[in-house]
Amino acid sequence: MSLRFENVGIALGAKPLIRPFMLSIKAGEVVTLMGPSGCGKSSLLAYVAGDLEAPLRGVGRVVLNGVDLADLRPEQRQVGRLFQDDLLFPHMTVGENLMFGVKRGQPRLEMMQTALARAELEGLEDRSPQTLSGGQRVRVSLMRTLLAKPAAMLLDEPFNKLDKDLRATMRAYVFDHLLTRNIPCLMVTHDQDDAPNNGRIFRVAADGEVRHV
Amino acid sequence: MMQSLRRLCGVLPLGVFWLLPFAVGVVAVGLAGFDGMAWVALFLHPQFWPALALSIVTGSLSLVISTLLAFWIVAGLHGSTRLADFMGSFLSLPHLAFAIGFGFLIMPSGVFARIIGLLAGWSETPQWVTTQDPYGISLTAALVLKEVPFIVWLIAALLARTDIGEMLAKQFRVGQSLGHGGASIWLRIFIPQILPRLKWPLIVVWVYGASVVDMALAIGPTQPPTLAVIIWSDLNNVDQAINARGSVGALFLTAALGVIATLFQFVTSVSSIATRRFLVAGPSLSRAPRKPAFALLALFAAIYALVLGVLLIMSVGSQWPYPNLMPAQIRWAAWSQLVDSPAPLLTSLTFICCCVATALSLSVIWFETFTDRLDRYLLGLAVAALAIPSLLIADGQYLAFLQLGLNGTWFGVFLSTLTPVFAYVFIVMRGPYRAFDPRYRSVSLGLNASAFRFWAAVKLPLMKPVLAAAAAVGVGVSIAQYVPVQLVASGRLATLTTEAVTLSSGGNRPLLAVFSLMLAFVPLAAFLIAARLGK
Repeated sequence: MSLRFENVGIALGAKPLIRPFMLSIKAGEVVTLMGPSGCGKSSLLAYVAGDLEAPLRGVGRVVLNGVDLADLRPEQRQVGRLFQDDLLFPHMTVGENLMFGVKRGQPRLEMMQTALARAELEGLEDRSPQTLSGGQRVRVSLMRTLLAKPAAMLLDEPFNKLDKDLRATMRAYVFDHLLTRNIPCLMVTHDQDDAPNNGRIFRVAADGEVRHV
Repeated sequence: MMQSLRRLCGVLPLGVFWLLPFAVGVVAVGLAGFDGMAWVALFLHPQFWPALALSIVTGSLSLVISTLLAFWIVAGLHGSTRLADFMGSFLSLPHLAFAIGFGFLIMPSGVFARIIGLLAGWSETPQWVTTQDPYGISLTAALVLKEVPFIVWLIAALLARTDIGEMLAKQFRVGQSLGHGGASIWLRIFIPQILPRLKWPLIVVWVYGASVVDMALAIGPTQPPTLAVIIWSDLNNVDQAINARGSVGALFLTAALGVIATLFQFVTSVSSIATRRFLVAGPSLSRAPRKPAFALLALFAAIYALVLGVLLIMSVGSQWPYPNLMPAQIRWAAWSQLVDSPAPLLTSLTFICCCVATALSLSVIWFETFTDRLDRYLLGLAVAALAIPSLLIADGQYLAFLQLGLNGTWFGVFLSTLTPVFAYVFIVMRGPYRAFDPRYRSVSLGLNASAFRFWAAVKLPLMKPVLAAAAAVGVGVSIAQYVPVQLVASGRLATLTTEAVTLSSGGNRPLLAVFSLMLAFVPLAAFLIAARLGK
């Protein structure tokens, strides 16, 4: 499994934000892309996911496991995403949130129970997400994404809104799960501390060039 | 001391002009309910049960169909057009004017029959029963055509709100990343969160459809008519015993609607297990159909255009042999009649100006004298004023005003028209008026401006679009009032709406078309002016 970027770039109208770059992310690898806010790094994730909105536009090919993502609609791409907000659906219970992305025909109740256990949230399936703590919500959000069996993951500053102590724990927790499942992952952030240890880090320079750090 | 004086000034005009007439109406009609003979007479009315069924079915069916179609349109066109912006022109057309024009389209000698007749070579009008059909189909259709734009506007306005709209937009992305297509996201994420927020507006729509009088008189069934029409003719009878039967009929209809709403709430809470299972049934890739949604919107626009077009043609065509698409000759007689005797138009305009000005003032006074913590009480009352059939409130006001000698007076009609007008104006204004950034006030007072100068020189100009939009809504609501005007005026005041209803039972069709066009024109003009001021 791999997520490959072939001359992928982002432009705002005629103005290039991210100049075309090449990158290949291996299974289980978390690559970090850093840059100031407004540099186009979140737009890059939207381009990969397929919901980049005009006047922003993307160029180049994003290839996931040999398939050009441009041929697929967002919901067909199997690209999981985590945002700054956990975005749990408020009208569903924790358990329903977890089962929401489970493909038809799979044992969704058992999968939900296993995921709850892995997130150390046993017995909370009937709770409303609003009653959970911040850390619990991030764990549910990650588990919800993983239960949809994504072929790649995009993280958009997922630890930004957490306080410092929680941040370290959640970081380890998320990376651990991605590694064991062999999912290629691209994370954008403006904080170098978010990046996994020994992971590759790239930076969007002021001229839009993507450089290895 | 100053504080309580201020509050008294804030609530006193509201009490006199709105709270008291509203409360007095409800109490008076409640007291009328202690009349055993009237109840007996009501239940012995030979058409009571079929009429009740007709009312409930037309109201409920039109609500269900229009909600479905509205979601179909919004979901299909999600993200492509700013629907809320151009729904206003649909909305401003009063129900009655629409129903009359729609009747001209579908009646046996109407435009549709002429088009088919020309194509099929008919020489005589067809034998179909379209307007006033016994099952209330034309009434339901007219209600649907009129309510869909309103519900579309409600949904679009909700999606355009920064708090809810942005959250839903993000949830849409999450849903896609979890493998759900647009249709599935609307069904499983959007609608379950949007519907509860639209509960009260939808209840208002439903109650309106189940208790409407003017539309039902124009194109509703006749043998039996809807219950609202039976109540209406009872209330207008000279016999007091029959009046009393009408009053308890209004109470019964209101109670029946309340019971059904409660039952419905209970049924949805019981059946929630099934809906919950549907929520987690797993991703589906189907998309919300864009082309059918666009086609539906185009169909609505076409029907509205045809309604206005046929009213225009009708207004100048007294000689219009079937199956010609155009009248034999153009006569301006009906228009010159409007110019020669403009009393109904002028009366309507006077009520509009007074009601809208009062409703705006009462709202602003409320907002400026009370903090937003008290808003929910007045909001609750305003919603109640709309969710209770106007038939009931107006009858109560009629009964109370009898004691006070207000019936047949201009002031009495003004008060009973103001009841729904203020409710709508207050509801429309509350959100945007309260969203005003309080720091402007701090800054202005810091610049040595007096509290009044801040309000007049800073807040009022910034609030102009809000006031203009609320005023436009007020114009539309006040011109459309039929039941309170007819009842409280006791036939002594004629407005465009009361004249249009009278004419719709037969007679001068060109004049009916002229009145309907004026009914359509005045709120549309108000809406366009408001839109201009809002820029």
